[in-house]
Amino acid sequence: MPFRKVLVQTCAFALLASSMVAIAPANAGQKDDTIRFAYEQVPESVDPFFNNVRVGVIMGQLVWDTLIYRDPNTNEYKGQLAKEWKWADDTTLDLTLREGIKFHNGEEFDADDVVYTLNFVAKPDNKVVTQTNVHWIAGAEKLGKYQVRVKLKQPFPAAIEYLAGPVVIHPNEYYAKVGPQGMNQKPVGTGPYRVVEQVQGKSIKLVANPDYPKELHKSVPKIKNLEIRFLPDRQTQNAEIMAENLDFIMGVQADQALALKSVPHLQSVEGETMRIVFLNLNTREDSPFPAMRDIRVRKAIAHAMPKVQMVRQLLGEKARLINVVCFPSQFGCDDTGAPIYAYDPNKARDLLKEAGFGPNNKLEFDIVSYRERDQTEAMIGALRAVGITASLKFMQYAAIREQIRANKVAVSHQTWGSFSVNDASASTPNFFKFGADDMARDPEIRDILEKADTSVDPAARKEAYRKALTLIQERVLAVPLYSLTTQYVANKALRFNTYPDEIPRFWEMSWK
Amino acid sequence: MTSAFLSPSASSAGAFINKVLSHRGLTLGLILLGIIVFMAVFAPLLVPHDPYDQDLARRMLPPFWNPRANPAHLLGTDNLGRDYLSRMIYGARISLLIGFSVMVISGLVGTGLGLLAGYFGGRVDLFITFIVTTRLAIPVVLVALAVVAFIGNSLLIVILVLGLLKWDRIAVVMRAATQQVRSLDYVAAAEAAGASVPRIILREVLPNVFPQLVVVATVEAASAILLEAALSFLGLGVQPPLPSWGLMISEAKTMMFFAFWTIALPGSMLALLVFAINLVGDGLRDLIVPKGRG
Amino acid sequence: MLHYCLKRLATAFLVALFVSILSFFLIRMSGDVAIALAGEGARLEDIEAVRTSHGLDRPLIVQYLDWLGRAATGDFGNSLYFKSPVMELIADKIGNTVILSLAALLFALALGIPLGVLSAVYQGGLIDRLALGIAVVGQALPNFFFALILVMFFAVSLRWVPVSGSETWLHFVLPSIVLGYYITPPFMRIVRAGMVDALEMDFVRTARAKGLSKAKVVLKHALANALVPVVALSGVQLGHLLGGSIVIETIFALDGLGYLAYQSITHKDFPVTQVILLLLAITYVLLTLIADLINAWIDPRIRVS
Repeated sequence: MPFRKVLVQTCAFALLASSMVAIAPANAGQKDDTIRFAYEQVPESVDPFFNNVRVGVIMGQLVWDTLIYRDPNTNEYKGQLAKEWKWADDTTLDLTLREGIKFHNGEEFDADDVVYTLNFVAKPDNKVVTQTNVHWIAGAEKLGKYQVRVKLKQPFPAAIEYLAGPVVIHPNEYYAKVGPQGMNQKPVGTGPYRVVEQVQGKSIKLVANPDYPKELHKSVPKIKNLEIRFLPDRQTQNAEIMAENLDFIMGVQADQALALKSVPHLQSVEGETMRIVFLNLNTREDSPFPAMRDIRVRKAIAHAMPKVQMVRQLLGEKARLINVVCFPSQFGCDDTGAPIYAYDPNKARDLLKEAGFGPNNKLEFDIVSYRERDQTEAMIGALRAVGITASLKFMQYAAIREQIRANKVAVSHQTWGSFSVNDASASTPNFFKFGADDMARDPEIRDILEKADTSVDPAARKEAYRKALTLIQERVLAVPLYSLTTQYVANKALRFNTYPDEIPRFWEMSWK
Repeated sequence: MTSAFLSPSASSAGAFINKVLSHRGLTLGLILLGIIVFMAVFAPLLVPHDPYDQDLARRMLPPFWNPRANPAHLLGTDNLGRDYLSRMIYGARISLLIGFSVMVISGLVGTGLGLLAGYFGGRVDLFITFIVTTRLAIPVVLVALAVVAFIGNSLLIVILVLGLLKWDRIAVVMRAATQQVRSLDYVAAAEAAGASVPRIILREVLPNVFPQLVVVATVEAASAILLEAALSFLGLGVQPPLPSWGLMISEAKTMMFFAFWTIALPGSMLALLVFAINLVGDGLRDLIVPKGRG
Repeated sequence: MLHYCLKRLATAFLVALFVSILSFFLIRMSGDVAIALAGEGARLEDIEAVRTSHGLDRPLIVQYLDWLGRAATGDFGNSLYFKSPVMELIADKIGNTVILSLAALLFALALGIPLGVLSAVYQGGLIDRLALGIAVVGQALPNFFFALILVMFFAVSLRWVPVSGSETWLHFVLPSIVLGYYITPPFMRIVRAGMVDALEMDFVRTARAKGLSKAKVVLKHALANALVPVVALSGVQLGHLLGGSIVIETIFALDGLGYLAYQSITHKDFPVTQVILLLLAITYVLLTLIADLINAWIDPRIRVS
């Protein structure tokens, strides 16, 4: 239709005149040596200490470095910003730092940076979002220009794991000057990528840091540019990658990945993740949902979940069934004592009847959810099959946390990636040690977990976790379901590996 | 605006039906709307499956024209193995319920304000006009989204929010119509006879402005249906697992490139329903509202 | 004229004030700002501390007056989610929404006026029916559904335009068409009606009798008359577009005010939502005011009534 064309051209011309930033339309990234990556959730802040979404962890690894490095293939700890480290006693860790490393803004890396960062994040007033990551730090002191001593509040053997994961090091002078807000606007680290441009809530452009030191365990990126776009809409992500405007997306549903694989220029790879899925039930003493206080109701919910079928039909092949609230590979994640509530709708119906619920007195509640909405809906369908009417409230994670804290949530479809920390202290305690996400508030479990987190003897730790996990299941405070897999969909031209910690190593990627 | 206002009661019922039938658009609209209403009312008898029953083993079955189709599911199944045809049929209930309820609520508010402003004029009119202007200045989608997001989403809340937001056009039309009727002889006669104001408004004015109310309320019902679909599409409308057409599009859109029918079916049904309502509205306007207004 | 202007300005001001009151109370009553402000990991004591330190324990009316006072000096507070000043965020995004709305309006005018004229000139003809069809479809098709279909064909299959974003003018093509299409029917109708009336007027008949060509008559005399109400309608529709682009901006991830509104709504970012709401209301009021003034200037009769 020429008429339509004329119109479009007319509009286009007017737009051209009014938009000053007209550049050539985007195309597959290989041409301009750019990996275009899209992620669903917008981080509240790019400063890794002030968000709790996966892309924040990814950004932490791209732009910053940690003191210690965990090899994702062997799970072995190696020196990163710290050359070596030694436990002086149960609560004192001495680290020797690497010399000659520079931050992106030219600031030299030394003990001052480590001391400032650790002291800053350890201070509760500074309100680091995930306190689990930093609450164990009592403080840090400088022993020499490249010597640091970290004091722990109490024995916390998993400290190394945290220092190798979420605890990144900021430049002290810059951070002191601009604070978390300035760090968010103009991030500065030592990592393999530098942030060159950021539009809040929309995109971040990064470029390879050519001076990234060889002795560190990450590398100068093979592909020079990286562009992260925040696209909350999955359909938009699919469309963009089909139209070759994106090169890499992750967290794609199994169905979609399968379908996208049929597109000639796309590949899809399934990866295991540490992210576990479970239902969190509001069993607080002041729970506004008295039915949830009845263990028969909670057991009924557990028996109503067709875990095996959900894994087979909705998830990828690498998903694992879990029986306790932690990821099986995590230290201390032992489910040997925990009772298992197998899928048994009849039993669920009987339990509900016993609890006084039936066709004339239906149990009704809302389930809050912030991702994998199809899975929440499948859970709702399964609950419906045993006579429970559940409705979905789909919200942002921050909104859910707010509601949980206000004691307004009956059941939460929780997922937890443990910040890729391979220790149970990063998962279970977050939900059962009276933190913001704790919907059970069981003091006995809190105390056992406290012991588990702080014991020095690995056997004692293990036993304490086992006990806590067993109790949680005996009391049905949560319904553990499965671990998620993630499907990576990428342009066929891109070569990449996947890791169970869900952190794409962009610096390793190359064009075929 | 010089032509006198004609109410359909001026002609006999039979003549009116003849007029309706001779208006092709109106007839078509009524037929389409009739079919959808029939679907909604008799949904439990029509559906082959319970629209909420999920069967994860039978997910994403294609519709009948695909060789892989399962004859038990004519239009296939959705991503949770729920029968698509059954959900489509039940979807009519949600849309019609929304359209009708919003129409009633906004009709009450809008008519009330319009009648008062038109009848009393003067300061009352000024005040109500100001309220209408304010309401017009408030972006409906944004406020509806915000309220639903902040308070929580449910069918009832969506209905209330839309009903309390969408009365502006009804108020404007009712005000103008009332002003005209107000100046007619029989209203003056009733006033002279000492009838009370509520009586005049209810007995003399309302019946005469009612046809115009029907026309404008129909249009509002259609727009409410589209708004609910948009809210549900953004995930801030009715709650899953309710089979709202907008929600179905939202749930299916990630697969739209590979299973186009999953968005095409609910999308077309929405368009068809709104089309039917608009035809009815336009037809009624042609028949009962004097030319030159609308 | 001056008196009329002043009166209208006063009304506009009152409306803006009233909307600010409404939006403030509506938003405040639907959620606890203190919890949102205290942020992640806050304990109950923290929340209460925030409540006192931000004066959220005072009566709402006092808080409103306080907010109004600071707003009058240009201080609209900070975003709860993005932490930056609200006005900064809005200033970043508003340009895209303005471009989108203007482009959509342009599209609607470019499609609506010619079709309106042609369908009036050839009443009952093919073009008239085609125009009617376009109008009917435009009003019935859910715009988000239309948007998805356009994305499928023009962005993914044909790759003529990008799928989402707002970097280049090409990014605005699909969203403008979707938004513009939806508001085309009113323009078409008003132009058609105006043209039908104008074509029957004496001076047009006289002109034709004088032997002027049909096209000339249509374009010069009738159209000029029919276009008068289009000006006012444009103002009103532009106001609707600015407020109605939220769904479309979200689908196309077009980084404008609507998308920001959607993000702040889902993140319970009260201060941003409130200011956007107020801003859109004021814009709407001003646009209708301008439209009315232009009308009054063109047609003096309005000033009297």
